[in-house]
Amino acid sequence: MRIKPISGVRFTAQTHQRGGFKATARQSLTVTDKDYWSITETDLFSTLETGPSGISEQEAQSRLKTYGYNELPRKGLSWTTVLLRQLKNPIFAILVASAVVAGFFGEAEQSIAILSMIAISVALGYFNEYKAEKIVEDLTQRVSLKALVTRDGKTYEINSRLLVPGDLATVYIGDIVPADIRITESKDLQADEATLTGESFPVDKAPGRIDAPHPTPQQMTNYMFMGTVIAHGSGRGIVVETGNRTEFGSITKSLTRPHPETEFQKGIKNYGSMLLTLTGALAVGIFALNALVGRPLIDALLFSLAVAIGLVPELMPAIVTISLSQGAGKMAKRQVIVKRLVSIEDFGTMNVLCTDKTGTLTEGKITLKDYLSLNEEKDPKVLTYSLLCNDAVTDGRIAGNPMDVAIWEYAMENGFQDSAKPFTKMDEVPFDYQRRLMSVAVRRDGAHTFITKGAPESVIPRCAYADVVGKIEPISSVLKPIEAKLSEFSGAGYRVLAVAFRSIEAKPTYSVDDESDLTLIGFLVFSDPPKEDAAQAIFTLKEMGVNVKILTGDNELVAKRICEELEVPVKGTVVGSELSQMNPTELQSAVDDATIFARVTPEQKLNIIKALKANGLVVGFLGDGVNDAPSLYEADVGISVDSAVDVSKEAADIVLLEKDLGVLANGILEGRKIFDNTLKYILMGTSSNFGNMFSAAAASVFLPFLPMLPMQILFMNLLYDVANMTLPTDNVDDEYIRAPRRWDIGFIRKYTLFFGPFSSLYDFLTYGIMLFIFAATPALFQSGWFVESFWTEVFVIFVIRTRRIPFFSSRPGKWLSILTVSCIAVGTIVPFTVLGEFLGFVPLPSNYWVLLILMVVTYLLLVDAGKVFFYKVCKCMW
Amino acid sequence: MMPYPDLFIWWAATISAGILFQVLVSIYLYPRRRKGLESAVSSVGKFWKNFAFVWILVSLLILYIVSINAGSYALFAAGNIVVEVFLLVYVIKNSNR
Repeated sequence: MRIKPISGVRFTAQTHQRGGFKATARQSLTVTDKDYWSITETDLFSTLETGPSGISEQEAQSRLKTYGYNELPRKGLSWTTVLLRQLKNPIFAILVASAVVAGFFGEAEQSIAILSMIAISVALGYFNEYKAEKIVEDLTQRVSLKALVTRDGKTYEINSRLLVPGDLATVYIGDIVPADIRITESKDLQADEATLTGESFPVDKAPGRIDAPHPTPQQMTNYMFMGTVIAHGSGRGIVVETGNRTEFGSITKSLTRPHPETEFQKGIKNYGSMLLTLTGALAVGIFALNALVGRPLIDALLFSLAVAIGLVPELMPAIVTISLSQGAGKMAKRQVIVKRLVSIEDFGTMNVLCTDKTGTLTEGKITLKDYLSLNEEKDPKVLTYSLLCNDAVTDGRIAGNPMDVAIWEYAMENGFQDSAKPFTKMDEVPFDYQRRLMSVAVRRDGAHTFITKGAPESVIPRCAYADVVGKIEPISSVLKPIEAKLSEFSGAGYRVLAVAFRSIEAKPTYSVDDESDLTLIGFLVFSDPPKEDAAQAIFTLKEMGVNVKILTGDNELVAKRICEELEVPVKGTVVGSELSQMNPTELQSAVDDATIFARVTPEQKLNIIKALKANGLVVGFLGDGVNDAPSLYEADVGISVDSAVDVSKEAADIVLLEKDLGVLANGILEGRKIFDNTLKYILMGTSSNFGNMFSAAAASVFLPFLPMLPMQILFMNLLYDVANMTLPTDNVDDEYIRAPRRWDIGFIRKYTLFFGPFSSLYDFLTYGIMLFIFAATPALFQSGWFVESFWTEVFVIFVIRTRRIPFFSSRPGKWLSILTVSCIAVGTIVPFTVLGEFLGFVPLPSNYWVLLILMVVTYLLLVDAGKVFFYKVCKCMW
Repeated sequence: MMPYPDLFIWWAATISAGILFQVLVSIYLYPRRRKGLESAVSSVGKFWKNFAFVWILVSLLILYIVSINAGSYALFAAGNIVVEVFLLVYVIKNSNR
């Protein structure tokens, strides 16, 4: 174990008086009073039985047994979960039941054929989804965190999961806080709590008591929270909570529930239920009718079963999974990692995107916007003095307080880095959180200057004068306009520092006493600027029918300013305090109208998403903080980024490798293509299969023989599904992906009712031709109908796959064309082969083919004409 | 002589039922607007136009029943070609591209 000494670190001395706290009994380590923020340091030590030397190693081991590891429960990738997910589908239930029944009645071939189809579908789905999840799991694996702990008076590094309550832990700039820690010592400590609270600027942290009964994390300045990052300085404190008892963990706990069903999953479920009802009714009806006309019961049962199977698009799970996996692969190339495949389709149908501000619309990085004199003009003197009075490290890389870093970065980018060179730094009065400013004494050409930089409310009271256009005036004469300007900056969401100076005599050391009678010279204005490409990305999303709503913990003025800069039209703004007053109905109305939701808590974010969903919208949520995790779970599509905290990535469906809205637009387009190709399969399957099976049912009643043998139906069904296997690669018409489309079971029902009978009509016509023109035997009849039925249901793919009229104005995918034509060739020659003989087919007469071609051409044109009626006249649109 | 003569009536009834079902679905899907009498009268022409494809269906039904009853390849083929030309013109006229 590497020992990391901490001697030499200068902590600000803190003295705390013991208040009226009653010492806790020795045995009551499992404290009931958890208000650690409000008790004195002495009471804190006493309560947690620790002290300035920490606890002993032995005690730590004992507490580890009591409290457990300091880690959040992680749900690992389980092959059984992925496998079970494949089987949770009503279609599988129908197929398994069919296989069992077929096997039970001695139809081993049918049973094996059905089971093979199930196995293929499950295997395809399982391997694709497992592979996708594995990739994401690998991505989200993070290096284990280390913690610097003091035990038995010795300080050393341990794995942060071994931390226990009572441990004395130390953190430095850049560290991720390993547990919830009550601060006992600090030096210039600032924590970036954006992942917990959404606040983009680092928060000052210092020891002390908080006299509030239920402080928010933002108010708990004497705490360092697990998962937050130390942005500046260093600190030390007592670990008060570990694992899922931390603030971080309490948010994570709400994530143990399962993901709500996505719109797509609900749609598939409804579709499965519709099929189940239809199939059940048809199978029972056919069985009863065949039994009534005197057919053997086993024949009647197997025929009705085959018709039922014919109606079920059994390869749908495989088609869907292949579509999704291929989409996931394409999206990965576009920097979008799909964690949960099923969310891709919802990604495409998403019509509202809720996003945080920091890092999405803004760069997520503080930059110096301006350095102004008191008459609001750029003043190089202000910049030079701020470079001198600066805590950032600039040896090779710039590190330190984000504002000091921002000043240096600006200077280097704009050629001001040498402006401080003529000066020699004599002494420094460091920053602290009581004064909220720092000072330096510098010398140039024998003249000594004392420069102070800090929060305006701290610097201005130390000023006696103000430098206005080179004229020194009493500060009191310019105070009002200065305050107005500061208020304006603050209102616009900028962070401001004041810069002041005085001439001073040379002396060995300088102190806070010298920070008086200063002359105010100007201000430094900081901002978290909008991303350059965010405006274009938001415009693109708008064009694609996706409304962007901003959910932020920051104030509404900052959010509005960002929107103004990005030219995002703001319909309305709602702040958290208003949201908390609203009842559910008012909330549903408010979420529809507003664009910005400011000062919102994690719970309010969650409620906003729920309300949007209740309004019938498909909601995406883009977030990367701990506070975003519940919302990521609740949204139809939870989107996080690679740089997000684990808990957010865990909760998300989709992980962006770059936090960029432009990347999102690409992913959405891919999702829409997948949605559309899946839909094509469903529409084709239900309409043409429905028609075929309906005509089989009708024919079985009046014909003296079965219109098609069960094995012939299954073979046709399998061949048809093979033809559809390349559907995921099909081209999608541009007009389909311009706007989000939602799953609409009502549309599927209408589509099936309208287009299904077209297929039946031509089946009946074939019956007539075979019976009354060709005087067909049962085998010839079955062969003739097999070929006609197969031709019509495969060729109609080209008509149904597009909403364009005429259908040939839309170009199908290359592989779809090749595979369908190949399958047509196989289906056409089968009756002339040994396999055909095995299946009970006989060769067809040559003049039948002439009639068949005429029929099929008429059929395809009739379906296209039907589309005119369906889409244009009836306006049955999706 | 027609083979399976006892099945012809069943077949004709089934294919007619199929067309009837299609016509009923079309009527069900056709938007029912609450309009005054005047607009209803003026929209009679539009109604005929909107239901063009239904008339094609009915014509096809007649063609198929007559040609198969007659056992005539030629009638069947010629009728199909005429309908195909008509359908092609119809879809091109209603092109949405």
